[in-house]
Amino acid sequence: MSETTPDTEARRLATEARDRVRFEEDALALADQVYRVARHLVGSREEAEDLMQEAYARAFRSWRSFRPGTNLRAWLLRILTNLNIDRGRRLQRTPGMEPLEEGDYFLYNRLEESAPDNSDEERVVDRLSQDSVVSALSAVPHDFRDVVVLVDIGDFSYADAAQILDIPIGTVMSRLHRGRRVLKKELADEAVGAA
Amino acid sequence: MTSFADDPCARCEEVLQPFLDRELNESERASAELHLSRCSYCRKRYRFEEHLRRFVRQAAVEEMAPELKARLAALRTPLL
Repeated sequence: MSETTPDTEARRLATEARDRVRFEEDALALADQVYRVARHLVGSREEAEDLMQEAYARAFRSWRSFRPGTNLRAWLLRILTNLNIDRGRRLQRTPGMEPLEEGDYFLYNRLEESAPDNSDEERVVDRLSQDSVVSALSAVPHDFRDVVVLVDIGDFSYADAAQILDIPIGTVMSRLHRGRRVLKKELADEAVGAA
Repeated sequence: MTSFADDPCARCEEVLQPFLDRELNESERASAELHLSRCSYCRKRYRFEEHLRRFVRQAAVEEMAPELKARLAALRTPLL
């Protein structure tokens, strides 16, 4: 049986303090990237800032449950998305699953139709405004938006998004699919008017 | 679900998003690439989707306020 001497205890505490400081520094270094995702999971800058503070406070408290060598950005976003869902989102109605008739090429086809002489792919995208992207994103129902924001803005893989949101990978794929369709519909309506 | 052999453009449309997400397996990716190299209709739409992705990502970027960064740093456990 090992004996705990004041010396070994002091060494253990010193190691733990060093690991904690390293964890906190690593987490803070990722704050910009985490914020970029957080900002579009909620409706306003203020809400995103509150959520960031709650998430970081919780992360700093539970740093021991992070396994070094795994994806810290995904771990932080898991805390943040859980907090966001806990903030009353569960009461929200699950978005309808009615079929979306439009295909994936819908936005391109709508934009191209509206100005057929100028169908170069880059020019077609130029018809969209930056503001329209932000408002279109906020119009996507929460459950779909979480996945779109994690994959399209956070650049997470389907597997990471599934882990962060604690949902099956098939659900990530179907929500992503539907969320992107809604996003495109919103963008089309803003760019060329509702059909 | 269609296949590249039955209806290549329909299949290409189905796999375009996972293709852009780098989530297709090797053989699906190769089939999609081959079709895109031959079909200008799908290639045009593929390029549009690629530009759209980049555009959405750039348009959505909103930097964190420096004050928030300071507030997050202040949440760290104080050193004894």
